[in-house]
Amino acid sequence: MIQLKINGIDVSVDRGTTLLEAATFLGLPIPTLCHMEGLTPYGACRLCVVEIGAPPNSRLVTSCTYPAEEGLTVRTASNRVLRARRMIVELLLASCPQSKTIQDIASAMEVRQQRFRQENEDCILCGRCVRMCSEQMMAGAIGFTGRGQDRAIGTPFDSHSEVCRLCGGCIYVCPACELRCTYTDPEKAICGGCANLAPPCADKPQFDDMMCYMQPCVACEIKKD
Amino acid sequence: MRRLTSLDELVGFRTRVASAKLIKAETPTLVVSGGTCGQASGANDIMRIVKRCILERDLGDRISLRITGCHGFCQVEPFILVEPGQHLYPNLKMEDVPRVIDAALNGHVETELIYTEPDTGTKYDCQDEIPFFKKQTRTILGTNQKLDPIRIFNFVERDGYAALEKALTKADPGWIIDEVKASGIRGRGGAGFPTGRKWEFARASGQPGQPKFVVCNCDEGDPGAYMDRSLLEGNPHSILEGMMIAGFAIGANHGIIYVRGEYPLAIKHTMIAIRQARELGLLGADILGTGFDFDIEIVRGAGAFVCGEETALIRSVEGFMGEPRQRPPFPITRGIDGFPTCINNVETLANIAVIINNGGAAYAKIGTPGNTGTKIFSLVGKIRNTGLVEVPLGMTIGEVVHDIGGGPPGRAKIKAVQTGGPSGGCIPAARFDLPVDYDSLKEAGSIMGSGGMIVMDEDTCMVDVAKYFMGFLKDESCGKCFTCRKGTQRMYEILEDISEGRGTLDHLGLLEELAVVVKDTSMCGLGQSAANPVLSTLRYFRHEYERHIVDKRCDAFVCKDLVGPPCQSACPVGTEAWRYVAHIGRGEYEEAYRVIREANPFPSVCARACDHQCEERCRAGTSGGDAIAIRALKRFVTDRIDPSAYSPQREEWTHGEPPRVAVVGAGPAGLTAAHALSLKGYRVTVFEAEPEPGGMLYCAIPEYRLPRDVITREIQSLLNDNIEIVCNTSLGTDFSIDSLLDEGYGAVLLALGAHKSRPLGLDNEDVPGVYPSIDFLKAFNQRGEQLAKGRVGVIGGGNSAIDAARTALRQRDVDSVAILYRRTRTEMPAFEEEIEAALQEGITIETLISPTAIKTTSGLFSHLELVRNRLGAPDSSGRRRPLPIAGSEHVIELDTLIVAISEDSGVDCITPARAGGVEVTDWNTVKADPKTLLTSRPEVFAAGDVITGPNTIIDAIADGKRAAVMIDLHIRGQELVRPTEPIKALPYLAPVEIDEGVAQAERVETPRASVEWRKRNFAEVEVGLSMREAHCEAGRCLRCDLEFAERQRSEPRAAGGHPE
Repeated sequence: MIQLKINGIDVSVDRGTTLLEAATFLGLPIPTLCHMEGLTPYGACRLCVVEIGAPPNSRLVTSCTYPAEEGLTVRTASNRVLRARRMIVELLLASCPQSKTIQDIASAMEVRQQRFRQENEDCILCGRCVRMCSEQMMAGAIGFTGRGQDRAIGTPFDSHSEVCRLCGGCIYVCPACELRCTYTDPEKAICGGCANLAPPCADKPQFDDMMCYMQPCVACEIKKD
Repeated sequence: MRRLTSLDELVGFRTRVASAKLIKAETPTLVVSGGTCGQASGANDIMRIVKRCILERDLGDRISLRITGCHGFCQVEPFILVEPGQHLYPNLKMEDVPRVIDAALNGHVETELIYTEPDTGTKYDCQDEIPFFKKQTRTILGTNQKLDPIRIFNFVERDGYAALEKALTKADPGWIIDEVKASGIRGRGGAGFPTGRKWEFARASGQPGQPKFVVCNCDEGDPGAYMDRSLLEGNPHSILEGMMIAGFAIGANHGIIYVRGEYPLAIKHTMIAIRQARELGLLGADILGTGFDFDIEIVRGAGAFVCGEETALIRSVEGFMGEPRQRPPFPITRGIDGFPTCINNVETLANIAVIINNGGAAYAKIGTPGNTGTKIFSLVGKIRNTGLVEVPLGMTIGEVVHDIGGGPPGRAKIKAVQTGGPSGGCIPAARFDLPVDYDSLKEAGSIMGSGGMIVMDEDTCMVDVAKYFMGFLKDESCGKCFTCRKGTQRMYEILEDISEGRGTLDHLGLLEELAVVVKDTSMCGLGQSAANPVLSTLRYFRHEYERHIVDKRCDAFVCKDLVGPPCQSACPVGTEAWRYVAHIGRGEYEEAYRVIREANPFPSVCARACDHQCEERCRAGTSGGDAIAIRALKRFVTDRIDPSAYSPQREEWTHGEPPRVAVVGAGPAGLTAAHALSLKGYRVTVFEAEPEPGGMLYCAIPEYRLPRDVITREIQSLLNDNIEIVCNTSLGTDFSIDSLLDEGYGAVLLALGAHKSRPLGLDNEDVPGVYPSIDFLKAFNQRGEQLAKGRVGVIGGGNSAIDAARTALRQRDVDSVAILYRRTRTEMPAFEEEIEAALQEGITIETLISPTAIKTTSGLFSHLELVRNRLGAPDSSGRRRPLPIAGSEHVIELDTLIVAISEDSGVDCITPARAGGVEVTDWNTVKADPKTLLTSRPEVFAAGDVITGPNTIIDAIADGKRAAVMIDLHIRGQELVRPTEPIKALPYLAPVEIDEGVAQAERVETPRASVEWRKRNFAEVEVGLSMREAHCEAGRCLRCDLEFAERQRSEPRAAGGHPE
């Protein structure tokens, strides 16, 4: 067992436990996008950063990848951490404003606007789908291409993949295109109106097994009628 | 080559090779650097000619040729170095090669071709004496010139593989690690992790029987850094030796050299070296019978910058896409294929043999504690001596830049040095006393990086620099982690907005906030250091950002959208130089005059005595040719057109009695302000202490530069009913600021100028024969007194020193005139053409000399004691500080001494006003807000030299114009803000057709009166251009304005609204 201190609480965890797991175990909320149970930690979205060590030599690390160390001091919601997370959310909103998941995280952090040039991208390149495809579906049909700004997700040479079984797992795990927000507020403003609402289909018992990756969602269509 | 099977055989082999070298007679050797840099500059041609000469003349026995890697002095490529005398023949042309060969054969030096220091003209016979080499400690780099990289014998005869022999003989990995730890060497790749500790961890890591890897990291992707390439190209065996020792120390059997595919020559040389080492039995199984297996393979990188990061490099070696992963686990525990991997930089490995041979303790003596050893830097950018330099860590940046680099190549001052490549930071010139080591650079907001040093001068825009590096990083970020990918992109966008004039002050805060978060939260070193260019430029050059945002101007003339035609932007009053030049080309002289006069109330004066900043920035000049002679063209127009051609609109004051404004001082600033205010209907009274208006134009500028009737005519043209000039009335004696305000003046403008020569601060400065330059010039210009006699000395290097010297030369009883300046001629602030004219007239200029004592004989000045100087580190002005050389004191006989070191504003006269609330600075200037020109007293403004200290005429005029605007706003009770003027789209003036002759013409020489005639009288020296000359010169104009005018014409069409 490893002893460490998270937000002043003494914790002991198994060797190999990540800081995110340890914090979640304590019920400390850490927002994540690229992390998903069952997939290898990837550390791409940087949203789960926590501060380790004692100031002034403390530093920010991604809690999803950092293994618990003996005697480590961890802060999951220090000023430095929150400042970084808010900026990351702002960057996410600037690129991908329609993702409800991101909008909800932003609302929870009280980020009400973003200050960059507005883009409308579909993908935040968190890599969940790529890992899902190779690690859970054992297909490896999709992967990353390009570098920097040109980085994208696709099949090799963008041609039809013969190993893809059209399982839809990639869409199921996507935090950006899973739910779409079509807010009415002016550009660059974050409405946050539905921050605390559950998806409509979750209310209806007959749609328990429904997945919301279809657009428009069946539940929503029924509700309209 | 026979395979060596035991350590004894290696010892025997090394002894044999070394003694063979000794027996060989010392024939002269021509050394040609054939590295990539050498080949690019034409070294292949030189080699071909040398080989042909040797074959044709059958010189094979008498002379030898060695082709080596880069020596470091890339500025002088292609060159031949003749051994044993170390004669360096730089920048050789093919036809000069035979002369060098002859000189080498005869054992003498070809003085015409030998290296000459451009600054001093000193010729250096021996390479080691050249300042560039003298201050370096070339432990690693110095070997390059001594060996041919593709010949292993060359390496072995220079103690090559001696360190391997020693390490294998000791057969104790712990000892090697201890030595490396004792040496204190830190990783040369940039992060500076102690190599000894890394090896210790690597040795302890992994299970027995598991493979381990040693990787040599030669993925050198920084723009402007190439020391790793030079080492691998020039001395590959030293890297192999370092890797073998590393492998032995940590227990690894596999070596990998990761080198970028863009380095074909390095790859070739390394492959040859590996093959030779294998043949010799130094690589492979059971090396030299010690039971140590080690082999090296080369992996070529595909050119991604991020692959220099160790986890990305590992992915790339494994065959995956080169992108980093989160550490821990560190490569030391989980590297290539999950096995422990120790990654070292090329330069670190090159140092290993030195450490093992001489011992870690000896190595630790070089450099400073904590930062031991030497480091290679690639010194590039705006620097005279471009190349690789190797210095002990802890040398100051100033020493590297000025002593080794030789300072700036042109007149522009060095502003900053960017260290550490794209993810490094900029260090401003004010901090050049900073030692270059890992810790100080980090503290200053930069990094050591791989050792790139990009020197930037005043023509470099720091916003543009940050934008350039951010553009590079944005493209090279792998994109895996979100903050690096989006953060660099967003920072680039903001910088783009700022450099294109769309920036707001909020952008700066956002930029800084974002930069800090990117630095904090990125996954690998690329992202963590990506913010450095932004943060360091924001830290040291925030004023440049603010200038871009608030004033929409780029002072370095780089950000095109904020500059417009360079000549117009360079002019303090914004004269549309391109426009009047175009009018001259079209023969429309009156139009041209109106263009000039609209911006500048003193066109004839400026046509003679302006420092023409427009010409400095003229694109015809900055793009490699000669600038257009704009001032001479202005003279051409003003000589032909009468001021009456331009009659400005005069407004009448409509709301009752016009307000009164008092202007103190009738110099260019005061008169400009008075003129501009009078046009707005104000009643202006100008008070002048001297008997005539004109200020410095009249008192200080000699008649041979600016005839008196020109001044008088110009001033007359500015006067009207609203202006009253009161001469012989000075502030402090005849009136005070309080009295003016009491008399009902609505505002007071102080435009007193700087009329007090600064004293040397030596004894006897008041004896007859010693004169302050302004007093000397005034005595002559106003009263015709000829104070100079016999041998005249003038101390100073500015325009007022040259004016005094040239005036003295024209006086009756003067025999000779010498200017004594404490720095060198390059640093003289006087206009270049004035210095030249003075030299032509026979005035001597002695540089690097300072007065120390004024000696008198029977109460009259008779001797001057002087001391010689040398140039030290640069001071706050960016110029190198003169330092006296002890023991060089000497005395010269002089009859007259004129002190022209600088001028102070005569603020004594307003000292009574200080009580009235006008604050004065420590430099004896009036304290005024640089934007509003308002002094500390609400109704009192100041303009011209009285706030800036001695400055140019055109700056005074610009100040005067601004003061008029501000006073107008003040009296109308409005806020003192002049709206920023973004570059306007320009009116379109059709260019005239030019013939072939004009297109190829050179800059017209400003005609001057003959030296013999002019130095005897005060007639004007410069003569106007002829019409043919003027048209030809105007035809040379590149018409940069069309770029901006076209935009205006095409935009409505692009919008689809108004077809023509």
